[in-house]
This record gives sequence, structure tokens and C-alpha cells, in this order.
Amino acid sequence: MKTNRIFLAVAFLLASCQEEVLLDLDQKKDRIPVIEGYWTDHGIYNEVKISLSKNYYDSLDQEFVRDAEVFVKERSTGRKITFSYLNATRSYRPNSGERAKVGETYQLNVNWKGQVYQAEGLMLEAPSVDSVTYDYLEKRLFREEGYYLKVYGKIPFEDNNYYRIRVIENDTLKNQPEDYLLFDDSFGLLVFEKGLELGYAFQKNDRVRLELYRLNKDAFDYLSQLVSLLFNDGGLFSPPPQNPESNIRVVKGDSQVLGYFIVSPVLTRSVTLPTK
Amino acid sequence: MFFLRSLTIFFFFLIGFQVFSQEKKSVNGQVLDAANLQPLIGASVFWEGQAQQGTTTDLEGNFFLQVTALPAKIILSYLGYEKSIRTIQVKDLEKVQKFYLRSEDFSLEEILIEERRGDEQVKNMELGKSTLSMETLQSLPALFGEVDLLRSLQLLPGVKSAGEGTAGLFVRGGSADQNLVQVDGAPVYNPSHFFGIFSVFNPDGLKKVDLYKGNMPASFGGRASALIDVAFREGERDRFSGEGGIGTISSRLTLQGPLLGEKSSFLISGRRTYADLFLKLSPNPDIQNNQLNFYDLNGKAAFNLSDKDKLSVSSYQGSDLLGLDGQFALGWENWVSAINWNRVNSDSSYFDLQGYHSRYTYQVKFDNEENGFDWTNSLSETGVKAIWTRVLASKSTVFWGIHGQVYHFAPSDLKPAPKNPITRRQTQGVQGLLGNAFVGITQEFSDKLTAELGLRQGVFAQVGEGKVYQYPNTAPNPDVDPSDSVFYEKGELMQRYQGLEPRIAFRYLLRPDFSLKAAYNRNYQYVQIASNSSAGLPIDRWVLAGQYIRPIRSDQFSFGVFRNFDQNRWELSIEGYYKDLDQVIDLRNGARILLSDQVETELLSGRGWAYGAEFLLRKNKGKTTGWLGYTWSRAWRQIDGISKDHPYNPRFDRPHDLSLVLNHQFSPAWSSSFTFVYSTGQAVSFPIGSYQVDNQTVPLYSDFRNENRFPDYHRIDAAVTWKNPDPGRKWKGSWNFGVYNLYGRKNPFSYDFRILYNNDINYNPSDGDLVSVRPGVVMTYLFTFLPSITYNFEF
Repeated sequence: MKTNRIFLAVAFLLASCQEEVLLDLDQKKDRIPVIEGYWTDHGIYNEVKISLSKNYYDSLDQEFVRDAEVFVKERSTGRKITFSYLNATRSYRPNSGERAKVGETYQLNVNWKGQVYQAEGLMLEAPSVDSVTYDYLEKRLFREEGYYLKVYGKIPFEDNNYYRIRVIENDTLKNQPEDYLLFDDSFGLLVFEKGLELGYAFQKNDRVRLELYRLNKDAFDYLSQLVSLLFNDGGLFSPPPQNPESNIRVVKGDSQVLGYFIVSPVLTRSVTLPTK
Repeated sequence: MFFLRSLTIFFFFLIGFQVFSQEKKSVNGQVLDAANLQPLIGASVFWEGQAQQGTTTDLEGNFFLQVTALPAKIILSYLGYEKSIRTIQVKDLEKVQKFYLRSEDFSLEEILIEERRGDEQVKNMELGKSTLSMETLQSLPALFGEVDLLRSLQLLPGVKSAGEGTAGLFVRGGSADQNLVQVDGAPVYNPSHFFGIFSVFNPDGLKKVDLYKGNMPASFGGRASALIDVAFREGERDRFSGEGGIGTISSRLTLQGPLLGEKSSFLISGRRTYADLFLKLSPNPDIQNNQLNFYDLNGKAAFNLSDKDKLSVSSYQGSDLLGLDGQFALGWENWVSAINWNRVNSDSSYFDLQGYHSRYTYQVKFDNEENGFDWTNSLSETGVKAIWTRVLASKSTVFWGIHGQVYHFAPSDLKPAPKNPITRRQTQGVQGLLGNAFVGITQEFSDKLTAELGLRQGVFAQVGEGKVYQYPNTAPNPDVDPSDSVFYEKGELMQRYQGLEPRIAFRYLLRPDFSLKAAYNRNYQYVQIASNSSAGLPIDRWVLAGQYIRPIRSDQFSFGVFRNFDQNRWELSIEGYYKDLDQVIDLRNGARILLSDQVETELLSGRGWAYGAEFLLRKNKGKTTGWLGYTWSRAWRQIDGISKDHPYNPRFDRPHDLSLVLNHQFSPAWSSSFTFVYSTGQAVSFPIGSYQVDNQTVPLYSDFRNENRFPDYHRIDAAVTWKNPDPGRKWKGSWNFGVYNLYGRKNPFSYDFRILYNNDINYNPSDGDLVSVRPGVVMTYLFTFLPSITYNFEF
């Protein structure tokens, strides 16, 4: 991805241009359900959103599926936690105040128009976050001038080290492709103890909320592939574009399904930056 | 056993010919350019009145011509040179006869564009081979005025490019890493600069390039698709001289001359870009402080040790550097060296010994106390090759030899800066040994029928030290942890493969100007790049065949019709081929391999096939020269796990491909060149819809790969050259004015399917208020109407 940009930087310097074009694209007639399921240890995050795919150029709002049967099954007991559609959130919410328990495996079930979709996830133990600090830093290579946050904590686990940090700046989720913060233990986890610097320049007075998720590998892979796809510019240095591999299976019916099911603990921290 | 038996029979067959040959006599000679004592390759040699039964000179200008009766007049002719006639007596057979041919005066009627015989393409055994002389190459219009070896080859039938402005080659449906690019016999692992916009090598330092599109003699091997055999120039032996050029983005200088008298020579050639200087002109300080340059440096020294022995030493070094703000740097470098010893044992026996070493390194460095790192990697190949050649009187030539190769792929090593808390990542190194034995014979069965038969046997071994992970009851995949690993000591055999590679070619001469040819070739390839992008990157991961990665096998069947017209002024060839590939690899979705020791978990393997027809009409003589090439071809891959296991076209599958190349000499001072290229657009995947997930609008793709096409690609390039027509001047200068993409066609480099804010492709949502948000398509295109100017000189 970066190489592609470097190549284009070279090419731009030499003579390249960009413009918007209208391509005649073949469009899929059937609309594919997109399922986004979160099952966490915080009730506020627990929801299942089901929407439908659309034509590429279609700029209308998302179309939501309101009439699906949705439940999460606790694998050890076989108990069903049922969900109902809530107009206010445009998602399915659990009917009870139950939350995910560490060590338990949960199975998401969605039945819609004769199609049955399933996904599973193991609720993992959360790491610990000790503190979040900030510093005002001058402009550096790859970094603008501004306040930078560092997260200090401990990750004592040997396996299943797949993490995501979501950053909410003044009630707005940072959700540009370059805003994704996903990390695993490929480069060790000492960085978390020494202070993981978030690569965003914040401004004075900003209220920043951080959400740390510990994901199952399949959900982490889904998000990694999603980010790769968002960065895929269709050029020679990008791999052929592919849909991220969903961890949701079609167990009955012949339709496709898109999206993911995330079972994860969530740790949140909030910081308000100084006025100067 | 079958192989050993076949080899034994083959050698007996050869020995039989040798015994027979003892009774025949021939005259042994060498043909040289009188001006610079360089050997003339492919000169015609025949007895007076027997032009149809002659021979041609080899790479060193040597020939052997069978004697019928003496004394007799021997005639030597070479296009663009004055004919030489000499009477040969019996006593002349005892020593090597030297012939010095003089260049004809410059003539507008006969412009030499290739150093080869007029009827070469009809009479030789070559199918799927193209030769480009440096004269031809340097006469073509070029991007930024930079004469480019590999990009010029893209103008030949059967050769595709990855895309606009890239020098990568895809030959007859093969991938870019299935081409062996070698210079003076030594492989070059990354033959590109600036991410493939330019290819390596300063053209002034080169002698010629041969492209073998799959059919190659048994003495070559190791790659599944093609051989690009580049030869460095030797220096002149009679005088010092120089040449060079000052171009739009780079300058070149070549110096040459005798080294230790007339029996040795040197040539040194360099090229350096100065793109950095343009960066300084930018008003943006972020751009001003960047570095962007490459250089090429090559040298060759040649020594005639005796009348029978010649030794040459050559070396090439080329490097790229891209630096940002003095803190971040990406650099890569090829360093290739070769030594060649050629010996003429007797009037019918030659021996060639070659040693080489090729090393490729790259480095990515971020100079920062807390977040910095230094990531390096290198790979090398060292080889020795020996070839014995015998010219037999029974109208046959045999050769046999051995070729040993040692691969060393060093660990990829990412070292964090002292205060950077990330863990150092280091892959394990990989070593491989490849031994090849080969034998071949060219046998003229009659005046019309000639066959070339060859066998190459390769034995490959991956050797320790190294570690192989075990995945019981399952194929390696990233969701399964290995159950165990096996460690191999240094030199210990880890995995072995072997393969017999037959090479068969026939030529049937229907008429002196009309021939039919057919060939079958098998090749095994034991190294390849694990990548799924279409263009090569400097940090690409090369992998060796091992326990989980099998060698690629390639079989190619080809057939051709070759016809010359109007006393060899026009050449026509039509060739067809079918190629079958096994064990080609691709990557899983989201594969991460650059710093992984378990590359096997990220790879998928399968088969490929390609077929096509190539048409080439070429004019080599006259004021106007050039060629028209057209290719119809298809390329396919079928790899389980990709495109729902269905066959799909790789991106470079471009069924129709046409190129027209014209050069015209208006006067001794003015000449022009023109190229037109057209090809079907690249095979790509366009979205079939979109959806929203994780607060992102994401393009939806089909499960089937590359079902869509870019628009057709076409463009015209043109150039005009003026050179001082006064031949008496010591300093000869010339100006070249060129335009790339003359009519400014916007050929897409890429289509980016993304969200557009405020109907502006450059608007960033964090810049301010949002008025509109919608999906769009942004096309990037490169190089529309790009003029260039180059001043070339000789002294």
C-alpha cells in the first residue's frame, strides 16, 4: 500500500494526473445481507446490525433489515439470548441485559427469509490499561504537530493477541482508512507496556475516548482485510481486490453473506486535552 | 534410470559422429571488424560458387568450413561490410585464418539495423527468439528520452507489459518472475529502477539483447517462461573513445579503449539520474528535502590471452534511493559480476567456462529514536558453468556441459531503533543448490531438414541450516498452528527435486526463403516471487522450492512459419504456441509474508496455461525500417482458493496486442522514429455493488477474479534525431527530440473506487464542512504528451 503511494509520488512528480470518471459497472441484482454483530462485556456495545448491499453508484442511505430473527446462543449451556429490532439504533438489541462472560463461546444466529447465518466467537480476557498520557509534539516525519496520546498497559497473554483500538474524538469516531489501529503480537507487546503512541494529532480541548477490543483471530483478519481493501487503489502494486473473508457462515440457503461477528471485551478510557 | 540410459545412448550417438569426423578437413578462421578488431557474429562464409553450403561465424567470430577441394576461393560477407575473398591453399589449414572486414561507407540505401544475416530468421533453428541490436533500441522513441532495454522488448510480439510506464515483462502468459534476465551469463534479480518505470543497464554499455520466449537451448534454464540474455559491450582495441548523453532526467558516459596493448580492452559505462534536482524546484519544502535517484555502473575488460584463449571480466552495479526528509529511506541495489573464459581447442572444438555472482539487497530505514527501524534483506546466486562444443563434419554441432548454482537468501531482518519497544523480526535464511547437466546436438539431416535436440537434467536441493514447520493432517494455512518443527544442520538436505528438461526443435526449409519450424520445451523453475501484485516491488519476497513449495514446471509447444521477401528486405514470421504451467503460486487474501517464516501458510498453488499466435512483419533494409507485430493470446490460471477454484485471467492477459515501429532516414543528418502500440485493456475486477460495514462504504466484488477490463490501451510515440553529418569531426554530437504519448491518450494506470466528498476528488473530510458524500471512481493516468530532449555525443 505504502509502496503504491511512493510509486505514485514518483509518478506524480514525473507526470501523472487524476480525474473522476464514470465507468459502466455490471451490478449484482441480488442484494446481499451485511451482518455486523458485537457481543461484549458492555451492554451498550451489544447489537446486531443487518443491512443490504446496493449498486455501486447508489448514494441512497443504507437499507436495513428489520424482520430477521436474531439470537446469540451460549455454547456451554445452549441458552438463547434473543434480540429485537430497535428503530432508534436501526439494529437488533438483546432483550435482556446479559453480557459476554470470559471463557464462554457464543454463537450468533440470524434467520432471514429462509436463510440461516451463523458465526462463533470466544470471549477472551481483557488486558489491563494502566494509564493514558498526552504530550504536545512538534511536527515530525509522518506526523503533524499536535497532542499525541500514549496508552500504557499490560498484555500478559501468550495466545490470541489480536487487538483493535477505536478512537472517538469529540463524539466522532475516527473512521478514515488510515485511522484503523489494529495490532497483534508480530512485533511483540512490549510496546504496550512502554507506551503505545496513537498516530493521531489531537487539538486542544479535544475530548478523546479510546475503546480497546481483544478480538478473535477471524474477526481481526476480517478487519485487516477490510483495511487493505480500503487502501487498494486498483493499481499494479495492489493485490487483486477481494471481499474480506467473513467469519459468518451460510448454514441454510444459498445466498452470500458479508460482515463479521465480534465477541470481545471492551476497555474504555477518556481524556480531555488541555485548553492550551 | 530412464534418464541415465537416454544420456548414455545420446553420448554414444555423439561419439559415433566424432569418429566419423576425423576423416574430414576444414578451414578454421575468425572474422573481425577491421576498425575495432571486434568479432563479427553471423558473418556468411562459403566457397565461391557454393553459397548455399556455407556456414556462419559464432559468437567469437569463429567458423569452420568443410573443405572439398583446394586451392579454392573462400568468400566472407557481412551485411554493411565489404566482402572479403581469399584463396585458401592446403597449408592454410594448419592455422587459424583471420579475416578483417571493412565497414561499407555510409549509404542511405542500405542502413544496417541488425548484426545478422539477411536470411537468418528463415535458416536458423530459432523459434520464439527475438534479437534487438543496440542500434535498433537506441533509435526508438523513449519515455523521458531514456532508452530502455526491457520496455523496448515490449514492442515485440508475445511480450506484454504490466501496465503504463512499467518495464516488467510478461512473456507468452508467464509471470514476470518466470523470466531470467541475465547479463554476460549472470542473473539480475531486480532489473528495474524507480519501481519499474525504468529498467537497469545503461544502454550505451550493452552490445545486444536476445529474448528467448520459451524455447531455448539446453545450455540455458532455470526459469519457466523466458530468457533475456543481455551482453555487455567490449571496448575497442585500436583507440580510446567515448560517448554519452545528457538527457531530461539522467546523463550517461561511456569510455573505452585498449587496456594493455591491442590484445585487451576495457569499457566502463555509467548513468546517473538527477530527478532530485527537480525536487528542489518544488515550492513545497516537504518535497524539496526528498531524495530520488538511481545510478548504473558497468565495466568490462577483455583479454586475448593467446590465439586460442580469451578472457573477459564484467561487472554491473546499480542502485536506487528514495529518501524522505533525511529520515526515511528505501534503497535497493544489484551487484552482478561475471568472468568468462572462451577457448578454441582445435579447429572443431571450443570450451567456455563461466563464473558469476549476483547479489541483490534492499534496505528500508526510518531514522527515529523512538519509532525508527532498519530493515534489510539480501539474496545472492553464485554459479559456474562449463560448455564444451564440437563442430562435426557431418553437418552437426554438439555441446554438453554442466551448470552449478548456489542460492543464498539471507534472513530478512527488521531491527528496531534502540528506544523502539517493538521486537526485532528476523526470518531464517534459506539455501539451495542446483546442479544441471546438459547436452545438445544440432543435426542437419538434409539440405532442408535440421533438428536441434537437447536434454537438461536439474537436481535441486534445499539445504540447511533451516527449520521446517510441520502441519499434521492438514495443508499449511494461517489458521492452524504448526504442531512441531524440524531443524536441519548446516549443509543438511532438507528437500530435493529433480527434473529432466527435453528441448526439441525442427526446421524444414521449403525454399531458401521459406521455412517451417516446430519446437517443444520443458523448463523447471526452483525460485520464484511470492506476490500477488502485478508489478514487481523492490521488497518482493523470493522463495526457494522446498518441502511445501514445489518447483514450477513449464511445457511449451510452438510452431512457426518464416518467410523472407524481396532479397531478405522483408521478413515475415507467424508463430503459434501453447504453454502449460504447473505449481504456479498466488497468495491468500490478506497474506502477510515479508517477515514470516511460515510463508507456506500464505500460499496457494495451481496450474496455468497460455496460448496464442504471433505475427511479425519486419523490414531491415532501406531508408525506412521497422516492424509490425500483432499478437493474439490468452493466459489463464487455476488455483484452488482463488476465484472459487475457477480458471481466471491474470491482469496481464491482453488478447489483442499490436505494435508498429518505424524508423526513417531523411538525410545523413535527420532521422525519425515512430511507434504505435495498441492492446486490449488489462483484466481487472470492478465492483458489482457496495455496502456499508464498520462505518465504511466498501466496494463489493464478485467472487470471480478479473472479469472486467480496462479500456483499450493505445498511444503513439515519436522522435526526431539530428546528428552532425560531418564524419571528419572528432566530436560528433546529436540531438534527439521525442514525445511520449503524442496525442495525449489518457490510458488508465488505475481506477480507485472510493468515496468522494463535496464532489472533489482531492477533498479530505477532515478539512472542513461536508456538503456531499457519494461513491465515485477516480482514474489515475500517467504520461500524457511527455516531451523529452537528449543530447548525445561521441568522441
